[in-house]
Amino acid sequence: MAQATHTNQAAGTTPSDAEGGVKVVGIVCNWCSYAGADGAGTARLKQEYELRLLRVPCTGRIDPLFALKAFEKGADGVLISGCHPGDCHYSEGNYYARRKFELLDRMLPHLGIEPDRFKYTWVSASEAARWQKVVNEFVGQVKALGPREGRAL
Amino acid sequence: MAPDASIARAAVEAGAPTNPTEAKVRELAKAALSEGRVDYLIGWRHGYDRSQVIPGFVRTPEEADQLVVNPLVHHNLVTFLKRNMPDPPNARVGVCVKGCDSRTLVALLQEELVDKERIYVIGVPCQGTIDRRTIEKAFSDEVVDLAFTPETVTATTRMGETKEFQKADLLRKQCSVCHYPNPRYADDMAAEPVTPRAEGELTWPAIEEFEAMAPADKDAVLAEAFGKCIRCFACIHVCPVCVCWDQCVCRSRRPALVGQRVAPEENLMFQMIHMFHVAGRCPSCGACDQACPIEIPLYLLHQKMNKELYDMLGFEAGLELDQKPVFQTFDVDDPLGEH
Repeated sequence: MAQATHTNQAAGTTPSDAEGGVKVVGIVCNWCSYAGADGAGTARLKQEYELRLLRVPCTGRIDPLFALKAFEKGADGVLISGCHPGDCHYSEGNYYARRKFELLDRMLPHLGIEPDRFKYTWVSASEAARWQKVVNEFVGQVKALGPREGRAL
Repeated sequence: MAPDASIARAAVEAGAPTNPTEAKVRELAKAALSEGRVDYLIGWRHGYDRSQVIPGFVRTPEEADQLVVNPLVHHNLVTFLKRNMPDPPNARVGVCVKGCDSRTLVALLQEELVDKERIYVIGVPCQGTIDRRTIEKAFSDEVVDLAFTPETVTATTRMGETKEFQKADLLRKQCSVCHYPNPRYADDMAAEPVTPRAEGELTWPAIEEFEAMAPADKDAVLAEAFGKCIRCFACIHVCPVCVCWDQCVCRSRRPALVGQRVAPEENLMFQMIHMFHVAGRCPSCGACDQACPIEIPLYLLHQKMNKELYDMLGFEAGLELDQKPVFQTFDVDDPLGEH
């Protein structure tokens, strides 16, 4: 049987679990951003590795409470991404979602969570390079803030 | 025997009407009950003494004389309609609404959560309601009587101590900046429309101080406030627009959005679920603030939410029957996020 060759996988940890590391949750839609992330991987575009992706059918499926729950459970940042407005696989899911994410984006700073810890954006299946840029920028800004401490949520 | 006779015995008699609105509410209630247009009517009545007002269910024209309208009537009676299952089934229910109450009723009607055909609505233009707890805190003794003039409130304690307050100092947070004191939806009005306390752009002075804090300070304030929450669910029970009941995700383990641990994180998460679920229906009537037994500043959350919805899309909940709740519709040209 093939042995796990990746050191981090073998240890069951990623470097982000180490002292001072951050955990970032990405919630992406199946049709655009997940495919974009897949493309970025296939193209071997280097990305920050603190991001863990959750795939959902559509951004319309994403309840703002998912992001809040992630923060409550200890995430240091949450990134939401889906199809560009107008390109939704289900026509209009992301139009509904956009209103909810915008409210969430405005409520989070009110809960004592720095604005840089949350971002919602649109990345299409063909935008592997854009995905790399979004991930590196977002994870970079969460890293700059460091892990969250003394939190109410 | 009337079903609530025991309450009627405990409650003090209301006596002759103290203001024209109160007299008109009683008159409308009597007419509706005697003509059989409603099976019962929900209004406000005195509690154990004249300093208290509680929701009152009146079933006979005689009982309608117990109804009162004064600055203590903060209770949003629409909450009794929200289950869409009046007791007994198919009962026709009369209800008194102030401006903010009517907006929650309109929000429920927009989503067909209340059957319009089964309700009779008495609109009560509102001059602002006061927070009795502010008065309680000014005395070590129990307050047993409150007398009102348009500008003042005179409190009397059990030992006979009296003190006069300016009504403006006692107003609930949302009342002092109220744009909609007149009911948006009513079958009959109990008085002429009143002039709103505020006009023009909406303002939220109650949350300004909190908004200006640094993230760490906000965090500390929220952790302290929500650490006290005992998850009694009074806020969601009394909320007129929180309507999921048995399907409430706060009591669900699948998905387990709220943990069973009662700690600041879970409590704030619980309250944010409430806020996001009533977004688009909540007009910040403040029923949750009044219901909280430990006075957690819930207005920090729902006022902020409504402020941002207003800022994002100019949305105000429950203004018109044909208005779409903000999250049940969209506009491809919404000026939100990246394009």
